[in-house]
Amino acid sequence: MARFRIAMCAVLALTLMTTAGITADLTESLKAGKADLKSAGILTFGPDGVLFVGDSIGGMIFALDTQDRTASQATAVEVTGVADKIAAMLGTTGDQIQVNDVAVNQISKKTYVSVSRGLGTAATPVIVRIDPAGKLEALSLDNIRHASVMLPNPVNASTGGRGGNARLQAITDLAFVDSRVYVAGLSNEEFSSTLRAIPFPFSDADKGTNVEFWHGSHNRFETNSPIRTFLPYRVNNEPTILASYTCTPLVKVPVSSLKAGSKVMGTTIAEFGAGNTPLDMIAYTKQGKNFILMSNTSRGVMKFSAEGLDKFEAITARVPDKAGVPYETVASLTGVVQLDQFDSQRAVVLTRTGNTLDLRTVALP
Amino acid sequence: MLGLAARGLTAACLILFLQQSPSLRLDSGRNLFVLENWRGATALSAERLSEVFTVTVDSPNVPPLLGKHRVENGTLIFAPQFPLQPGMSYRAVAKVPGAAPLSVVFTIPKVDVKPTTLVDRVYPSSNVLPENHLKFYIHFSSPMARGVAYEHITLMDQSGARVDAPFLELGEELWDPTGRRFTLFFDPGRIKRGLLSQKELGIALHEGRRYTLVIDKGWKDAEGLPLAADFRKTFTVGAADRKPVDLKAWTISKPVAGTRNVLTISFPEPMDHAILQRELEVVTSRGAVIRGAVSVGSGERSWLFTPDLAWTKGSYNVRVGTALADLAGNMIDRPFEIDTFERVDENPSRSTRSLEFKVE
Repeated sequence: MARFRIAMCAVLALTLMTTAGITADLTESLKAGKADLKSAGILTFGPDGVLFVGDSIGGMIFALDTQDRTASQATAVEVTGVADKIAAMLGTTGDQIQVNDVAVNQISKKTYVSVSRGLGTAATPVIVRIDPAGKLEALSLDNIRHASVMLPNPVNASTGGRGGNARLQAITDLAFVDSRVYVAGLSNEEFSSTLRAIPFPFSDADKGTNVEFWHGSHNRFETNSPIRTFLPYRVNNEPTILASYTCTPLVKVPVSSLKAGSKVMGTTIAEFGAGNTPLDMIAYTKQGKNFILMSNTSRGVMKFSAEGLDKFEAITARVPDKAGVPYETVASLTGVVQLDQFDSQRAVVLTRTGNTLDLRTVALP
Repeated sequence: MLGLAARGLTAACLILFLQQSPSLRLDSGRNLFVLENWRGATALSAERLSEVFTVTVDSPNVPPLLGKHRVENGTLIFAPQFPLQPGMSYRAVAKVPGAAPLSVVFTIPKVDVKPTTLVDRVYPSSNVLPENHLKFYIHFSSPMARGVAYEHITLMDQSGARVDAPFLELGEELWDPTGRRFTLFFDPGRIKRGLLSQKELGIALHEGRRYTLVIDKGWKDAEGLPLAADFRKTFTVGAADRKPVDLKAWTISKPVAGTRNVLTISFPEPMDHAILQRELEVVTSRGAVIRGAVSVGSGERSWLFTPDLAWTKGSYNVRVGTALADLAGNMIDRPFEIDTFERVDENPSRSTRSLEFKVE
């Protein structure tokens, strides 16, 4: 789910990041020591091999220096039964681990997989690195250059947090754009959405700005709408967040509207219907045309053109069937549970067949 | 005589040979694999040690266990990074230079434990829920396994048929930090009016009908054991609730000065059990926070606050966060779905409202 979008940087730098300092090497702020993750969930790469990890249980975002900066021209990776192999490394069986996310380091073409060893909240987080030859190794978290930021989660002042704070924010997606980490989260209590933009290098003083995402339907009803996955993208040269809500509409929101404490109404540009949850989105160019690939829980992998997304009218009325941006379902990609870009022509997919998870590269359709 | 001596010498040599042959042992107390009777380890690099002595789970084509090699008193030891798992077999292989390869499988005995974890309770506790009901909180007696929740939750209608796709199924399951409370949202696509999901499948709950939330005992706890029993919650469905929470309809008890009387705030409708516990605070007229213990009353229709210190005479405020919600997700001054033709709130920033009360 690596979302470092080089193409957006220049434009976004002018519009969003005027206050953030530009650091020549983003690893400079990272300090060696134990990265005390409570869980390892969503992954995304920044530049210089910095891996951002969403720790939903700890309520934190970690930046890890993978020191993985040797360029590779590899064009493929394939590991059959990858969950079983990872489980074996961890001394257990495939049904005793959870594979949470997959991200490719665009420099080295190594694939990083976030895993929980064990099934409870006390499970041990592990990050496994897989090289293009299919060799697995664990990223040591005991002594690694890192930084972290805690997401705000205020406690009741009257109780002073007695009895603990049961509220958690499940981190549903992460993206790094220029010098900010965008974090989408869904609370385990209130039904709301936050998109937080946190400056990186992290600073205690600035935990970023928070934006509420809303969804308008039938041109009448507005609801607070949690974001499941999102993709920073330029629509007609305008830096935009393409976001998919938990209720499955695909919306676009200009980055320029993401102001601290503001209410943002996403413009619905597509609906994908019932019983479906979008998982990942990647953007790519093929034969001079721009496309977006989106994996879903029940509607397979969809491919749609990213040309002229600005020209689609907002869906503001009840629609007869899937509506808005037309898409095709990629028949050759079935059982895809994780998707990330490998290079300009290929994606990495994690596919499930029965109880087996396989990791492999596929040509972008 | 000579024959006897020769046999004795052979036996002694054999004993010596056996004593000095490398062998593999599992020190289960210390979670260590030990390569004994080989003194060559000290001369080798760490990389070579991991080539000489490897441990894997007993399956073909798997990478070695993560862990560290070390030499203790000349003996090569492999310490796995993670505890060995009961019921699993591990293969230790030693390729000592100049000796035949050794390969021994060690099986960790399975521990026979009976399931004890149960669903403790489910909120809301009411057996009548609005048609646009938003979520359940499922509380367990022990921490649960993550990643399989939705396989074990079913909603049945009154005919016993399974309701198709009523819930929002997220890869990032919504647990509390202890792993004992699971949040189950209804699919918002089937609650929000005007969406394709609602057109395709309709609303999940229908007014006037009876439903049963079923949690099957196949759901495993964090120890990998199933629940001790299934759980069922049957409820009937009332009218949809699209009104914001109205503070004016609340009543506040009157604590007496000099006592630690419980301050009780009562609501005309049930509130969200979890949010209720954190969105109300008591402050003095000057805004100083009063510390105390909070609990939720029967049917989630009241909030109870016991101050740490006795009340003193004066004016107080109950500060209510606008995130407080009822069962349908309607908040203070803001319904779950805002009708833009009758807009009630242009500025949705999180804030608080205050309810004043006096202690005399």
